[in-house]
Parts: sequence; C-alpha cells; structure tokens
Amino acid sequence: MSKISQNDIEALIELFDRSDWRELRVVGDGIDLFVSKDPNARRSIDHAVVVSAGAAAPTPVAQPTAARTPPAHLVAIRAPCLGTFYNAPKPGAPPFVSIGQSVSLDTEVCLIEVMKLFTTVRAGVIGTIRELLVADTELVEFDQPLFYVEPDG
Amino acid sequence: MAEPTAQTRVMIANRGELALRIARVARALGMESVLAASAADRDSLAAREVDRVVVIGSAQARESYLNAPRIMHAAVATRCTALHPGYGFLSEQPTLVEMCTDHGITFVGPTAEAMRKVGDKLSARALARSANVPLTSGSEKILSTEQALEIAQQIGYPVITKASAGGGGRGMIVACSPAELSTSFERASVTAREAFGDGTLYLERFVERARHIEVQLVGDGEGRVVHFGERDCSLQRRYQKMIEEAPAEILPDAARAQLQQAAVSLLSAIRYRNAGTVEFLYDEPTQRFFFMEVNARLQVEHPVSELVTGVDLVRTQLLLATKQGVLPSQTAVRVSGHAIETRIIAEDPDRDFLPCPGRVTRWRPPDGDGIRIDTAITEGTLIPPYYDSMIAKLIVHARSRADAIERLAGALARFEIEGVATNLRLLKFIINHPDYRSNRVDTRWLERTLLPAFRTQ
Repeated sequence: MSKISQNDIEALIELFDRSDWRELRVVGDGIDLFVSKDPNARRSIDHAVVVSAGAAAPTPVAQPTAARTPPAHLVAIRAPCLGTFYNAPKPGAPPFVSIGQSVSLDTEVCLIEVMKLFTTVRAGVIGTIRELLVADTELVEFDQPLFYVEPDG
Repeated sequence: MAEPTAQTRVMIANRGELALRIARVARALGMESVLAASAADRDSLAAREVDRVVVIGSAQARESYLNAPRIMHAAVATRCTALHPGYGFLSEQPTLVEMCTDHGITFVGPTAEAMRKVGDKLSARALARSANVPLTSGSEKILSTEQALEIAQQIGYPVITKASAGGGGRGMIVACSPAELSTSFERASVTAREAFGDGTLYLERFVERARHIEVQLVGDGEGRVVHFGERDCSLQRRYQKMIEEAPAEILPDAARAQLQQAAVSLLSAIRYRNAGTVEFLYDEPTQRFFFMEVNARLQVEHPVSELVTGVDLVRTQLLLATKQGVLPSQTAVRVSGHAIETRIIAEDPDRDFLPCPGRVTRWRPPDGDGIRIDTAITEGTLIPPYYDSMIAKLIVHARSRADAIERLAGALARFEIEGVATNLRLLKFIINHPDYRSNRVDTRWLERTLLPAFRTQ
C-alpha cells in the first residue's frame, strides 16, 4: 500500500461522512485509522485513536463526563442534544412514561425541542423506569441523564 | 455615554482562544457570559471563565458550533441579550443574524444584509466597482469550460478560478495556459460545490508575486467607518495565513492612504456595522492594489492591529453592539511601532502538515515586555481532533520591524511545547531567513522558496 497523505485521510473522512457506513477502518504503512458514527464504538478497539500516524501521540478522545453517574444496577437514558425537555406529547396529555413502567428499546420516553423542532427520544434499553431526573419544559444539555432505568435480566 | 442599561449577557458561540478572550473582555466590562460548548470543550479554559456553560451537542462541529438552532435555543433559554459569533464556524452566516433578530438578541457583528452583500464574491466585486475600488480584471459567473477559455483569452493568462460562494482557497486554481485551464476548470467547480454547495466560478487575472494586504475596519452601522490601519499577511501556505504584521512596511505613504481610503469607502457604502476587514492584493513593482474580498467578522490576526493602535477590538465590538460605547474618530486612531503575529499550529511540517491532536504534556509560553500570547492551552490540555489545529497566537510589539523580529526570535526560542508536533521550528526558520528579514516576500514565497529550503536544511 502506498503512503497515505493527509489529503487522502480528509477525503476518506468526507466520503465516510456522506455514506451510510457506520464504521471505517484503514490500516496501512504507518497508519491505523478508525472512524465511527457510534460514540461508544471506540471502546471496542484497543487503541483509543481517532487519527493516528507514526510518532504522533495517541489521542484519547475526551469522554463526556456526565454530571451524574447512575446508581449501581441502573442505566441512564441521556439527552441526544441540548434542548427543552417535554415529558408528554402535548400539554395536558399523560406523560410518555412514569416510575415503575416497563420500557423496551423503541418506547418513546420524551421529546426534545430545539427551535420548535421536536425530536422523539426512545428508551434504547429494556427495563423498568426507576427515576425521573428532569422536570417538564426544563432545559437539558447534551448527554444529560433524563431517566434512570433498571435493565431486565 | 448612554444611561445605565440592563445587564448584558453575552452568548459566546465559539471555542478556543477567542472564546476565552471574549469571556475575559465581557467580564472586564461587567457583562455576563454564557458559553455554548461542545462536549469536547466542557472543561476548556473558556468554560472556566464564563458565568455559565451549556453543552449543546457532541464534539463534531455540525452537532455543536455549526448548529445554529441549538446555539439559538441555548441563547434564548439562558436569557442572553447578545451573541458573539467569533471567527469561523457560523460567524458569516446571515441566517444566524436573522435568528438573533427574531429572538431580540443583539448580534455582535454586521447585519444579515451586509453579510450577504459581501459574502457572495461576485456581488462583493460589484460593490467594490461601484465604490471605485480597483479590481483585477475578471469575469462574471462562468457556466462552462468553453466560456472560461474564451474569457481567459480576453483577460490574459495567468488566470485564477474562484468560487463565488466562498474563499479559503477552495475552488481556486491558477492556470497559465488554455490547456491548464481546460483541465482545471471542472475540477475547481466540483471542489467549490463540495465546499460551499454552489459550484459557481468566476475568473480573475492572477497577480503573480503579490502581497496580501488587508485593512481592519469598524463601522457604526450609520455610515461612519473607521480604519485601524492595515496588515501584511503575505506569509501563507495554501491560502492559510501563518505570519501577519502591522503595519505593512513595504507600502509607500501615498499607496497606504489610498488603500485605507478605498476600504473605508467600500464599507461606508453599505453602512457597515461592527468589525470587518477588506482584503487586497498589492503589486509591489507598480504600487497598485486590487480588491480581493471582505471578511464580515473579526479575524484571527486582529491582535497585530490592536497592538499598534492600542485599541481592544473585541471590547470595541461588544460596546458598540450593545450601544454602551461609541466609535472613536479616525484622527484618534494612531499607529505606533510594529507588531507581528505567528500562528502556532499543531501540525507537523515534516510530515506534510499532518494535524497532530493530542495531549500537551509541556507548555511553557514565553513572556516579557511586548509579548502577548492568545491561547486556551495549558499544560495537560487535550487538543481535540475535531477542529482547527491552531493552538496559540504569539504576538510581539516593538518600535520597529527589525526590533519586533528580534523580540519574536527570542520569544520563539523560549517557547517550549511537548506532547504534540507543532510548526515552532518552521516559524523560527522563517523569521531567520534573509528574504523575510529584508521583507522581500509575496503570497507564494513560503511555498516556492521557504518550504523547499526548510526541507533540505
């Protein structure tokens, strides 16, 4: 394999960005490039490197340090971005979820509104809601825990 | 001075050294500040300096610093009264200005209308023409390679293709002959479309061995525009500036006055508001200058103008935008001494300027009289791989250019950085080169003369 230049890497990353691919790994002469659209994916490879070549110091990627870590046996459902948290589909309607309720991967748990654009947040975990951490209409930040869930099994 | 105003709270929609600087200036002015940060920057120096940080999205710029709706949502939710966009990212997006207006937030910068007028390069050229500012001979938009060849014949070679929608070197290819132009035109258009979503190109006569000289301006939005002298930014690699100076010492006084006046006329014509820069190419042998483009924002290299004029431009921006201050008169702006800025980038010049993000394990910046460092790095800082690789600006000020170079040489020699590769060694090599010392450089000199010499040393 011939030498990979910085332009090649930029072109690869642009290509990856536009593609439907979830992961891309290129290993060659003095380079090991791993890119992923899954923020957790880097944990699965040995070297936590986004772009590394030759003698460059490895680049540990800043892990989001969540304000609160869930108590043992519980996992957090987190905000996908900054926005306003809504616990119900519309004002006055019953909330999407309440304490003690079972959720599956696709269960809708809340809405996040950014400039009048609403995004549905799904549980992404199978289990039981144990804690509601955010009040209706509160501003939430990226990665902020919204619910604690006790996973099944 | 106006009567006491309500508490100003500034949203800082940027990162790095400029976010830190805006936060410090805001604090000194008694303004509150809120930083809209990405997850990678939640523990940055700027984040520690502001009154509140809101993490708006993940590290990728499009999820954070390029995401106007999230930034606006954060500004509204935290009750900001003003927004400073910094440079890069969304700073030249008229839609952000309009969103601010819609939510009653003061945008620290020009109007959306002015941004559009100068943002499109062809419309900026039309504006310059109507303000009698000299232009290189050039074309309107060009639709095909055939048309390009025809127009190039009229303008004369060499020509350069430029993207109507943006700058930064994308879509810019120099052609010295019809053969070169026919192979490069399509490629330039594709590059422009990928970079700006618009592949429209135009042609300009290419000025060889030109200087890049730009004028710093601030307008009050009512037709009065004041200049803060000019900068010589001829040391560039691939249209990215590496060293900037103020004043441009090669300019004869008459040419300097004309250049400054042309820049003032251009922005006065659109009643420009807040800080902006007009860029020119300067042809040394004929002492002629040609309009290049307008940057409707604060620029990276603004500190050299601050050092020679003694005016804090960020402070001026914030005071003007919030109507807590007025623009100084032109006669009150005096240029004194010489200032030079070098951009320290985490890129390895020995490996084709490969970006080298990582953890800074040793950080010992120089200090002393006439030395200024603008940075958000400290020992232990992690440079994330998602953004621009500039990590610091080392700026010196002295009585003369020669003294400033001596001061810079000393400062660069004392600057210790470990953990990431940087261009420090290259910068030292540049400022010791006889061409640089005698100020015989142009915009291509770094790539044509200096880099080959650096590689073989």
